[in-house]
Amino acid sequence: MAWAPPPSAAQLYRPNRFVSLPPELDPATYDTSPEKLRAEAERLAIRSRLKRQYLLQLNDPNAPAVIENPALIRWAYAKSQNVYPTFRPTPKTSFLGAVYGLGPLLFWIFVLKADR
Amino acid sequence: SEMSKDMLPGPYPRTPEERAAAAKKYNMRVEDYQPYPDDGLGYGDYPMLPNKSQYERDPWYQWDQPDMRHNWGEPMHWDFDMYIRNRVDTSPTVVPWHTMSKHFLLFLSIMLIMFGLGEIYPSYRPVGPKQYPFNDLYLERGGDPNKKPPAVIHYEI
Repeated sequence: MAWAPPPSAAQLYRPNRFVSLPPELDPATYDTSPEKLRAEAERLAIRSRLKRQYLLQLNDPNAPAVIENPALIRWAYAKSQNVYPTFRPTPKTSFLGAVYGLGPLLFWIFVLKADR
Repeated sequence: SEMSKDMLPGPYPRTPEERAAAAKKYNMRVEDYQPYPDDGLGYGDYPMLPNKSQYERDPWYQWDQPDMRHNWGEPMHWDFDMYIRNRVDTSPTVVPWHTMSKHFLLFLSIMLIMFGLGEIYPSYRPVGPKQYPFNDLYLERGGDPNKKPPAVIHYEI
């Protein structure tokens, strides 16, 4: 009779929202299939192209004083100005809005009213 | 900023061409690019990167920004300012999280239960009321010094 295979070390570890799986336990780190190698090579190509752009600007004698990072600009834009255009009232968002917006207000109304 | 509108984040990508364009915009591979689910929460086409803090990145690699462990042009996590090295750390722990939380909660609950029981059922050596000298401190409590104080005897022979 075949028992189920014993739980792997990664399953015993149970990574969650607060800790991630150490790479030693992650089977993906030991995977050397051609797809993975090609993916890593593509990522390396992108990284090295970006690094070359950055180093060219950094070591340029006629360089501007501040080298602006487009990733940073995009991140700041996405968090500040891109939220309103991409917001859409859905059941989940309106529920969350009600909870976060009206909840504390009603809570304190009742607490202060009961206190007086 | 001087970036053109197509270089800035936009709405959720619907067609594969929009996804490819968004992946190229964020300097990612098309297979790696995964936007946040379209719940209307305001993420748009920003990529969903794994929720790992900057602590987990290689300390020995020569990053462009060593303190942030971040390269120029690399897509930043939505919660990047939370995952910097001064703040939240998601590095793997030596002991698994569920074991740690189980031990801690067991200890805390046992201690709290014992303290609660001690409040409900206190136990101490037998005590009696406190006995004060000088006729229950008659003069100190404002008794008239000319009158004879009532005799207070605390013993039995």
